[in-house]
Amino acid sequence: MNKNIFAHDEWKRSEHMAVRECVGYYLFTHQIMEVTGPDACRFLDYMYPNNIASLAVGRDRYTTMLNDDGEIIDDVVIMRLEEDKYWVSTLYGTQADDWFYFHSEDYDVDASEITDEWHMFAVQGPKSKDVMNSILEGNVDDLKFFMHKWDKLGEAEVLVNRGGFTGEKFGYEVYCNADDADAVQDAIDAAVKAAGGKEVTEFQVFAWTLPTEAGFYYMRDLGHTNPFEVGLEKNINWDKDFVGKAALEKVRENGPAREMVGFEVCDECEDFYITSKQYGGPGEPVYIDGEEIGRVSKLVYSYVKNVNNGYILAKKDELHIGDKIKIHGYDCVITEKKWL
Amino acid sequence: MGKKIDGRIPQNSGDGAGFKQYNAVQSPWNKLMSYQDALHYASRFESVLSAAVAQAYRIIIPDYATRASEMCKEAYGRLLYTGMNYPNDDGFGIHPFMCGSYPGALIGDKGDDALLMCGRCQDFGTYRCEKELDVCDWDICGSELCRATTMSLQGQADATASRHRKGHKLDYMMVEAKGCGDRHCRIIAENREKYPAPDHELWESFGPAVSDDYKKYTEEEDCVSESMMFREECNYRFVNGTNNETDSSNQMVNLSTAASLYLLPAIDNAVKLEYTTAENAEWIKRCVLEAAGKAMFGERYAIKACREWLGVPDSIGEDGRVLGGVIEMLLQSLVCGYEIEAFNKDEVIYVINRGDLAITGTQSLCEAHLYMWNGMVKTLVNAMWSVWEEDSPKGKMRIKIGKKIDKFM
Repeated sequence: MNKNIFAHDEWKRSEHMAVRECVGYYLFTHQIMEVTGPDACRFLDYMYPNNIASLAVGRDRYTTMLNDDGEIIDDVVIMRLEEDKYWVSTLYGTQADDWFYFHSEDYDVDASEITDEWHMFAVQGPKSKDVMNSILEGNVDDLKFFMHKWDKLGEAEVLVNRGGFTGEKFGYEVYCNADDADAVQDAIDAAVKAAGGKEVTEFQVFAWTLPTEAGFYYMRDLGHTNPFEVGLEKNINWDKDFVGKAALEKVRENGPAREMVGFEVCDECEDFYITSKQYGGPGEPVYIDGEEIGRVSKLVYSYVKNVNNGYILAKKDELHIGDKIKIHGYDCVITEKKWL
Repeated sequence: MGKKIDGRIPQNSGDGAGFKQYNAVQSPWNKLMSYQDALHYASRFESVLSAAVAQAYRIIIPDYATRASEMCKEAYGRLLYTGMNYPNDDGFGIHPFMCGSYPGALIGDKGDDALLMCGRCQDFGTYRCEKELDVCDWDICGSELCRATTMSLQGQADATASRHRKGHKLDYMMVEAKGCGDRHCRIIAENREKYPAPDHELWESFGPAVSDDYKKYTEEEDCVSESMMFREECNYRFVNGTNNETDSSNQMVNLSTAASLYLLPAIDNAVKLEYTTAENAEWIKRCVLEAAGKAMFGERYAIKACREWLGVPDSIGEDGRVLGGVIEMLLQSLVCGYEIEAFNKDEVIYVINRGDLAITGTQSLCEAHLYMWNGMVKTLVNAMWSVWEEDSPKGKMRIKIGKKIDKFM
């Protein structure tokens, strides 16, 4: 009972380490909102706090989406495909759809969800560049991070985006028409295996363990936080108006009430019982001197460092790197929020 | 007898006194019950009714294995059909890249919380999922129901898988069940490529799990008694790991019951499969449900407690209005529309919206309630009183609580 679901699982370890040491691929289709029209740029620049207006055609940008209270309600990658055509990659399509609708009255813009038309395969890891060059008609030699281009993979037209959710220097996302998905997957699968890599099939690896090692967030980590609390305030464009700006300015003025910190469960606690928000629910409370100062947001495993790692959303300045604490009776230590 | 509605304290009595308004159901004597309590009350009452229906099903198909097997097949098939034809991936936070049957766990997780079956998800991955419940109002309905609910989840999971690119199949199993006396209900879903086990029949999806070592067991002191939507540390919202979030505001109208979702359809199916005739099935349901209703108030203290709970004035003696109060509280708790045609010491008449009471579209649930109420009135009031349906307009169930002599009762 209570055996560690990550540490002892060689299946997960092998898929995780394939990405870190060689190459791995997986279906990673998100919901896509296509935003077009003469006001598309101006509209998205208002909907998102980061600078969208400065985004060049062929480039991408990561940004949060806020509600009027300045809380993060989504985090997305926006791709500028053409002058007046953008793709917003989200996992909250229904909400984005409503949110766009309610704010689009003053804009000449059309936003529609095109998720069903596309699939996306992530190809990630040190050998991913070689893999991509071996299957594309063209190549990705000049493709910089968060840059995309159209190419051909066999008979299929594909959009290749350099980026990913793993923290790897080389990682690509291959968007293809849903009808071409089988052929595209077959080609990627063969090339990845020829390079010594494998398909990553485990959700916990591609959604949790790989991103967490790199300090990335997955949806629930950000729920009911603001960008200052989770370290995503750096690229906000304060010179423009955007949804949630007034509330966020107050946070900037007063400072955030909470902060997301990293932590590890100590080695000797190999098997333990600590709940975390990634499964739903409130997460394990973290107490200092009998006072609850935070909750465990995430608790997974770093296969690179061989430690149980995660995040705690805590009251600001209550926890510092190196602090030793007990969570549900288990020894833990506060760390940086990155394990690569 | 006249269709007189005795003077009831107006429901808006006290308006203007400066009291805060809040969400509650209201007895005929203006006793208020909070939304949260009403939801719990409705859930448990419906569970008691469901337990009685389960007994009827046991009479119709006496052999455990046959009964459980038929129930599982029916539940699996129906929920597979529902999941295929009424998909709601966004509503459960299922993402396009979630292939295979593991996203079915998200459906079960959200459904559990809505049904007040509070607990926690302990594992969620492509090859293994685990959900642990601390509370289950349906724990009195028998282990066949535990098996059937697991298979309905399997149906939903398989339906979800069919809408996505090919993925890995999970075998959903209930490895602990409060209905079997365990501390928790625990569903573990395993992929057989990673966790090999012999094939089994649908009804045998009852564990033990191959991955039992990974089981996370919550000790008594850490167990919860409320769903996330009623807990402060959850900000009074159900939130799963994909950030799918709901509050309690629509739970009453979405309340489904073991009888409506599993047991009555299982009996209908047993009739179709000719285990019994429709007439005999109806007779057995009536006998069992009336007996269950009588058992509710067989002791004087139960009557006293009920009157206290409803705020029945001492001036009201043994008459049909007391049961009327119980029925009204239940109907309000289920957000079931009804009109009061008569409410006096001689008779009480309600015209109930059948569509509202036929939860999840199960029409025979209306009759199941009627049988139960007819049993309840015999002990809550006395044996001179009965409850029956009479002159119902289309789409309504007009029920009468009155005195009745029937030499063949």
